[in-house]
Amino acid sequence: MKKTLIAMLLGLGTLNLQATLTEDVEVPYVPFEIKMGKHFDVVQANCLTCHSFGYILNQGKQPRSFWKEKVEKMVNAFKAPISKEDQALITDYLAEQYGNGQ
Amino acid sequence: MKRRTFLKGAAAGAGMTALGSDAFAAGQPIDNRKVSTIPFPQKRPLITYSDRPPLLESPRYVFANPITPNDMFFVRWHMPDIPTHIDLNTFRIKVNGLVSKELSISVDDLKNDYEPVEVTAVLQCGGNSRSAFKPTAGGIQWGSGAMGCARWKGVRLRDILDRAGLKKDAEWVGFNGSETAAYYETPNFIRELHLDEIGDHVIVAYEMNGEDLPYLNGYPVRLVLPGIYSDSWVKMLSNLTVTSDYQRLFFMDKAYRIPDNECECQKPGEHVPTKPITKMNVKSLIGYPTNDTKLYHNSYATIRGVAFDHGAGIKAVMLSFDDGKTWHEATLGDDFGRYAYRGFTYDFKPKKYGKQTIMSKAINRAGEEQPFAKDIRWNHGGYKFNGIDVVTVEVV
Ligand code: HEC
Repeated sequence: MKKTLIAMLLGLGTLNLQATLTEDVEVPYVPFEIKMGKHFDVVQANCLTCHSFGYILNQGKQPRSFWKEKVEKMVNAFKAPISKEDQALITDYLAEQYGNGQ
Repeated sequence: MKRRTFLKGAAAGAGMTALGSDAFAAGQPIDNRKVSTIPFPQKRPLITYSDRPPLLESPRYVFANPITPNDMFFVRWHMPDIPTHIDLNTFRIKVNGLVSKELSISVDDLKNDYEPVEVTAVLQCGGNSRSAFKPTAGGIQWGSGAMGCARWKGVRLRDILDRAGLKKDAEWVGFNGSETAAYYETPNFIRELHLDEIGDHVIVAYEMNGEDLPYLNGYPVRLVLPGIYSDSWVKMLSNLTVTSDYQRLFFMDKAYRIPDNECECQKPGEHVPTKPITKMNVKSLIGYPTNDTKLYHNSYATIRGVAFDHGAGIKAVMLSFDDGKTWHEATLGDDFGRYAYRGFTYDFKPKKYGKQTIMSKAINRAGEEQPFAKDIRWNHGGYKFNGIDVVTVEVV
């Protein structure tokens, strides 16, 4: 069926409609090696809705204040529905695993 | 109280100069990230920051070539939900709002009913090289590879707007791509341009380097804004809405903005009025040799790289082998137009064994030149880094 359609189009000399991507494009899943630690479960439940862990990992080691602000940015700017308690636990996790001691 | 804080700030500023300018300035962007072992659709393996949304960076060696091959071109999406399939039989670009006639245009219509135009232009993320800024500035910590240069073919955006007929009050055009947020309250990635910004060089492109746009670079059509950072080069463009007023949308009003002062700089935590990043500043990158390459003593190595700016055009690229004390003019390659990369080459004969730095500095026809990285001042979003490029090789 699909073949006949393409053949017809070729017959008419209309090549334009013939896409090279004829099937679904699947983006691969990349395993990002995030550290396990206290409250990781809260991070997993809240921080994967909108983007991968890659976003957290590429930031490097940062002070607690940096992580606190990032979590707040997710809630205030991007409307992430995360409770105050969970925000605090996530900040603890990030400061512990990806902190620089400050 | 205010005055005391001010004085404290001034003292800190003075201290900063005495200590060297590291505090709120820039160093070199991170350059040792490895390409992933997982290739994305239509791409060779690239440096991979995220899979959802896909964020892929070109490694440095790609800048030895003045045209970036499609399969090595960087990728940057904002939202995780990108359609997995585009059916050209049903895909339409809708034009609505303050127009006399609403349009619904297929890719085939674009190719058959409008005059085709081509432009070779650099696409660079405003946050390219962000990892150079200390302290860490907000956003993805790109190295230098969130940029590329391609030959784009499509139709003038003006021609589309003319066909729709702008009404008297029309001032702004909002552009929407087909990607959507995962959570319904997250603002969508919509961009706006004022009609004054839409010259004849702005195109809606359906071809990149003679091929269909790669899926991850915005198949089937994207906006191309030569000379301007990539934030408004909307991918999988599906909707144009003409309005009389600016909409104050999040990704226009909060993201991609820099301090609206002469140095375009601020101290961390300092709140200042902002403006959009818009025009690209002059920049160059060395594509060969890359960091840690071994060169042979007394044997010529051809240094290759690219330089570009916002469209004034590149006048010269200077190289230094003594940390910026003396400069040597490189040979410029073919001119693909004022918005394109200008390739450069230089035959270098290493005379000294051991570590050797190579610096490149571009100068444009407006007389603007790249500053040393240490002289670039901080901004909260880590935008517009254009420090003199440095690679360090070993001469054996
Ligand atoms: C409601 C959606 C949403 C959720 C949930 C969310 N984020 Fe984000 N996040 C975003 C968006 C949107 C961006 C900016 C995306 C872009 O422009 O590529 C972002 C960017 C980031 C960045 C990059 C730095 C920056 O300043 O932009 C970090 C780090 C980050 N998020 C961490 C987190 C953490 C930690 C969590 C869990 C608490 C989280 N995110 C949950 C939407 C979300």
